[in-house]
Amino acid sequence: MTVEPAAASAEVKACCAAAYSRDAVALLLGESYHPGGLALTRRLAHALGLQPGWRVVDAASGPGTTARLLAADYAVTVDGVELGESAVERARSAADEAGLSSRAQFHRGDAEHLPLPDAIADVVICECAFCTFPDKAAAAAEFARVLRPGGRVGITDVTVEHGLPPQLRTLAAWVACIADARPVAQYVDILTNAGLATVSIEQHDDAIAQMVEQIEARLTVLRMSAAGRLAAAGVNVDTVLRYTALARQAVAEGLIGYCMLVAQKPA
Amino acid sequence: MAGESRAVAGNGRAAATGKQERNEVFVEYTKSICPVCKVVVDAQVNIRGNKVYLRKRCRVHGPFEALVYGDAQAYVASARFNKPGTIPLTFQTEVREGCPSDCGLCPEHKQHACLGIIEVNTNCNLDCPICFADSGHQPDGYAITPEQCERMLDAFVASEGVAEVVMFSGGEPTIHKNILGFIDAAQARPVRNVTLNTNGIRLAADKAFAAALGERNSRQGTVNIYLQFDGLDERSHREIRGRDLREIKRRALDNCAGAGLTVTLVAAVERGLNEHELGDIIEFGLAHPAVRSVSFQPVTHSGRHRQFDPLTRLTNSDVIELIAAQRPSWFREDDFFPVPCCFPACRSVTYLLTEGTPGQPGFGVVPIPRLIQVEDYLDYVSNRVVPDFAVREALEKLWSASAFMGTVTTEEKLRAAANSLNCADACGVNLPGAVANLTQRAFMIVVQDFQDPYTLNVRQLMKCCVVEITPDGRLIPFCAYNSVGYREQVREQMSGVRIADVVPNATELQPLLAESPYGSKIARGQHRPGNGHRTAEATNVGRRAVPPAGRPQEMRP
Repeated sequence: MTVEPAAASAEVKACCAAAYSRDAVALLLGESYHPGGLALTRRLAHALGLQPGWRVVDAASGPGTTARLLAADYAVTVDGVELGESAVERARSAADEAGLSSRAQFHRGDAEHLPLPDAIADVVICECAFCTFPDKAAAAAEFARVLRPGGRVGITDVTVEHGLPPQLRTLAAWVACIADARPVAQYVDILTNAGLATVSIEQHDDAIAQMVEQIEARLTVLRMSAAGRLAAAGVNVDTVLRYTALARQAVAEGLIGYCMLVAQKPA
Repeated sequence: MAGESRAVAGNGRAAATGKQERNEVFVEYTKSICPVCKVVVDAQVNIRGNKVYLRKRCRVHGPFEALVYGDAQAYVASARFNKPGTIPLTFQTEVREGCPSDCGLCPEHKQHACLGIIEVNTNCNLDCPICFADSGHQPDGYAITPEQCERMLDAFVASEGVAEVVMFSGGEPTIHKNILGFIDAAQARPVRNVTLNTNGIRLAADKAFAAALGERNSRQGTVNIYLQFDGLDERSHREIRGRDLREIKRRALDNCAGAGLTVTLVAAVERGLNEHELGDIIEFGLAHPAVRSVSFQPVTHSGRHRQFDPLTRLTNSDVIELIAAQRPSWFREDDFFPVPCCFPACRSVTYLLTEGTPGQPGFGVVPIPRLIQVEDYLDYVSNRVVPDFAVREALEKLWSASAFMGTVTTEEKLRAAANSLNCADACGVNLPGAVANLTQRAFMIVVQDFQDPYTLNVRQLMKCCVVEITPDGRLIPFCAYNSVGYREQVREQMSGVRIADVVPNATELQPLLAESPYGSKIARGQHRPGNGHRTAEATNVGRRAVPPAGRPQEMRP
């Protein structure tokens, strides 16, 4: 995907993040995808010490796979909040089919303005979405607001240390997910400023390496099956594959990573 | 306390330097058989140096050990890919002596039959140095009658209701004069697909035969070809098949393509013979229009085979490592996932989407597990919730012993699996739709390590989903049939000729071995069954573990 030079500018980045890149990420990863898959979700649940009966808020819940997993395996009640209307609908019907609709509810809404009352949640989780929020401080403040005193937030997300290598910056404008990823320390600062004290950080860089490989696999399949339409959409697969090779290298060098972070609201 | 001091002496060679650690991790306790006398014995599975070994001891023939999985981490991780079994509609035997003496299927069997095999004869137009069925140009043997075939099919259908796949095998099934009638008999029943397991000699020479199969393939059910194909080097052919069959294989494949038949290339892989050709076989298959899958099977050390060392034999993980090493730009080891319908250590599978022809510009290959998080669906231990149960169902049918390329089921399930690539219709491209159109170019790779008298583990056997249908209407798990003595029993019943138990041609057994009339090895002095010793069973001993106080139990031998 050749990106207009102007796309590198911050303004364009901000305005593209919500729409264009969301589509691109869905195309390349599937909307329910997050690095580490269900296994990392379970690890996060374990780190948060989920107890039966707890109320969990899933910020950017997508089609609700995580919400159903938590409701079924940990006997918690989940409020999923998701911007996309069709995702909310699918999440509801899947929960219904699984007989979980009483324990997994879904609300259309923005993570920066959670449609939920104060102090209702024992836990907030946010998987591979925090880095895409344009106003991270507002989202963190919302997490803190809906948490009860002593409640915990669990985040898994992309990290970018020391800024992206220059060759990757154009790709970054395209995949917002990486574009606005921050160093781990910045995530910690954002949470601290919202009154959430980090209690543990784990690196899961393999998960991001797998994500890059999945992007490559999907791109290759797209080239096999829909080369003409991709070209018409302005996507040059070979160019993008050069970027993903760079991204893989950046992961190997530790510039791009994936972290699991747990923070706590004061009791 | 003579026994105790003996035990100490046995383990404690280091009495002077204190206690020592064992050099292995004990992971399973199970049952197996003595590879020489086939008596059922206790067995244990241990991990040593990241490899998995099965060890057992026969009271008469001593200890035996064999490598069963070359990568212990992969073996342990595979345990999660274990699906709850399905109960067949009927069982053919009852539980009397326990596994593996009651085949089958007995009510303790944990899985229905995904694949039923009918061996139509023992004769073959080849005399391969490697043949688990011990077939060839032989003065005795048997060929089933049409009535027997119908009874066998009926037994299978009674057990399965609607059967997914019947495989006709042998011997060489294409030289049976009734083979087309047998296929018709299968297609007249609720059998979705027929697979013909052949060396290809008749397919190469007889275009009318290929056309007759092609005609049957275009009926309601499908007919596809399971073609023996061990490599591209002349040496592989000579060592494994006794002659250079390369031209015959090429003609057979071209005739299959001409008749619209889908082919699986089936390679028996033996250390030191053709293990270097795995990538080449895949590449050859990808380039041939008739070929849609490759099945790699470490040589089963039952029947006839070359002398081997059970401790360095090939296993599934070794084959997968070799594939990845020989085509690193196409495969990684983690592109392969265990098949959950049977025991997960028995079979691993991957699917590819491909484009173009290998070696030419524009060729592309993507293993499907890089597109779908297979473990999120097929890990039955971790996942009570899966992202989409329809996708799990599709993957279950694809990661199954009943999956053959070219069948309606497999094509359907490939399309359904594409639905898991859930994404919006982004950038004007609908990915699931696009991938569904690619399924005609999908390619399957199977790695299957069948058990032999050295590696037999009843834990795996009890969930086996590949069965030999016998003329008397039993469904005997394939590895039990080849290892435990059922093959010899059936051949003896059918041919009226006494058949001695076949013993693996292992290096360590050489002093005990004699030649059978069919080229396999048997125990010396064992030309007739019943001549040998009888050994008290080591397992299911039929008495208390500890004798009641005051009533000393008879000493064991």
